[in-house]
Amino acid sequence: MVAVSTSSPASGADREAIPDAPNPIGLDGIEFIEYATAKPQALGQVLENMGFKLVARHRSREVLLYRQGAINLIINAHAKGTPLPDKPVISAIALRVRDAATAYHRALDLGAWGVATQVEVMELNIPAVHGVGTSRIYFVDRHKVFSIYDVDFTPIPGVDQQPPATAGLHFFGVVQYIGNDRTEDWTEFYRELFGFTDLPPEQRFGILPKGRILRSPCPSASRFYIQLIEPEASVLDVEDDEGLHRIGLGSADVLATVAELSQRGVEFVESGSVHTEARGALTKTLMGSVSFEIVHNQQA
Amino acid sequence: MSPFSVNMDDFALDSGALAGSLAGRLAAAREAGFNQITLHASDLSQHAQGVAAAVAEVLGSGLRVSAFDALNDFEGLSGPLQACKLDVAKALLEMCQAVHCHQLVLNASTLPGAASDNATLVRHLRQLAMLAIPKNIRIAYRAHAGAHSIRDFGQAWDLVCMADMPNLGLCLDATQTLASPCTDNDLEMLDAEKLFLVQLADSLDLADPQARLFPGEGVRRTELATFVSTLHTLGYRGDYSLGLSNPDYQSLPAPGVADRAWRAALWLGQDVLQRSVPLPNQIRLRRVLTH
Repeated sequence: MVAVSTSSPASGADREAIPDAPNPIGLDGIEFIEYATAKPQALGQVLENMGFKLVARHRSREVLLYRQGAINLIINAHAKGTPLPDKPVISAIALRVRDAATAYHRALDLGAWGVATQVEVMELNIPAVHGVGTSRIYFVDRHKVFSIYDVDFTPIPGVDQQPPATAGLHFFGVVQYIGNDRTEDWTEFYRELFGFTDLPPEQRFGILPKGRILRSPCPSASRFYIQLIEPEASVLDVEDDEGLHRIGLGSADVLATVAELSQRGVEFVESGSVHTEARGALTKTLMGSVSFEIVHNQQA
Repeated sequence: MSPFSVNMDDFALDSGALAGSLAGRLAAAREAGFNQITLHASDLSQHAQGVAAAVAEVLGSGLRVSAFDALNDFEGLSGPLQACKLDVAKALLEMCQAVHCHQLVLNASTLPGAASDNATLVRHLRQLAMLAIPKNIRIAYRAHAGAHSIRDFGQAWDLVCMADMPNLGLCLDATQTLASPCTDNDLEMLDAEKLFLVQLADSLDLADPQARLFPGEGVRRTELATFVSTLHTLGYRGDYSLGLSNPDYQSLPAPGVADRAWRAALWLGQDVLQRSVPLPNQIRLRRVLTH
């Protein structure tokens, strides 16, 4: 008798093993994103409107931890020599990795610029490398074993330390503005150091499809994206004006999320080219620089 | 400024060709007609008032810095030597960034003890290029006769291709190329997009490539014209740096030498590349507007 396979030939799993994209440092999502500003209260109000809760303060510095669901945002108002800008800037992304020290030293070997950290008593030393502009990229490990915030932060008494996410919001990615003809440079930077891969031009998310999208090598549950956007063709010289521009938040139901956030007072861009739809939405820019993009994404 | 400068924006004068203070050399280049200059690290580090003052002079000169010719003996080292050289490279990249320059020239290593296998050289070239990405700086790798192993641009080109970094390309030294006995140097194999900088100089004597003159002044006039025309045909539209090391010119006032360099640029732009010259009426109109 001839055995008949019941598995679907379309899956291909019984014919060959096709590995996922390599994940050289065991990247497993974003631990936190940090803003730097001289106006932490004003930014805090913006975040609270977006559904974030202030859950903890840094032990020794003017640093605040806001959270909703699995999204951690840090507001850093601790000036180190140079005065902080009033307009908030995204100053750091912390990546969850398999082993922070290994990831850090691997990055240095490949040509990243290490950041000299100034650790005070009872504070964690989180290794970091320089990213775009003045931003940093931190490496955080053991995030499943204990929280890095337990060491450096003091919880706000009486506040739920795990506030639920508004309408299932989660990290989707970050939009990075880059200079003219810099797409290949930054693609190589994220590919070599972290294992990102670029998506084909026809694969786009949300309502702002410009530029190139890089996909992190994380497991699907923690996957996030970096979108690289060059200046418009008519803009000649912005080569030194590069930086992280806005955060993308994923939502399984963009319209429901927008409705809920609108009730909180969040306003969304409605213009000829950009308006709320099921694929995504964009909040109006506040404080001169802060906006969030809501992107349709079913988190695994 | 010369009325012809509208056609000559891709010609830079190498600061090493001029004598005198940095401010004097910058002014001489500007007055001669150049819009850009190639700098060396010593131009900044040996300034009497320090690097910050030198940077301010460069930024205030109105000249674009097309390249920072600074890094030597980088690739092929190991252990503490490599770590030391990495620190030097970082410092030079920061100086390069300070003068708003987007191109660092890496001269192939002269060290006999440095590794020369392709895998090591490629790894170090990739590492340097990666360091330069956040600074928005390109690395132009230059082969030269004094190097330990990478003496011909064909070898440098192979390494650039193997390293395959978007901000890593080739610096082509015309004098080295024309004087090389190597027969494998075929300009046709180059991808013009990966050719980042071309250094041009003429020779006083065919047997002595170090005795240099500005392009068109020496015995390689015809060869240089062919060289530049070939690159243009290949699609090269990047910068040309005019440099030399000539004791005679080092003993002359900078303005006169810069004028000689500008005449060389005009020869290349008008006679060799046959760019259009502004019409007399346009020149007059421009003068009226600018004065």
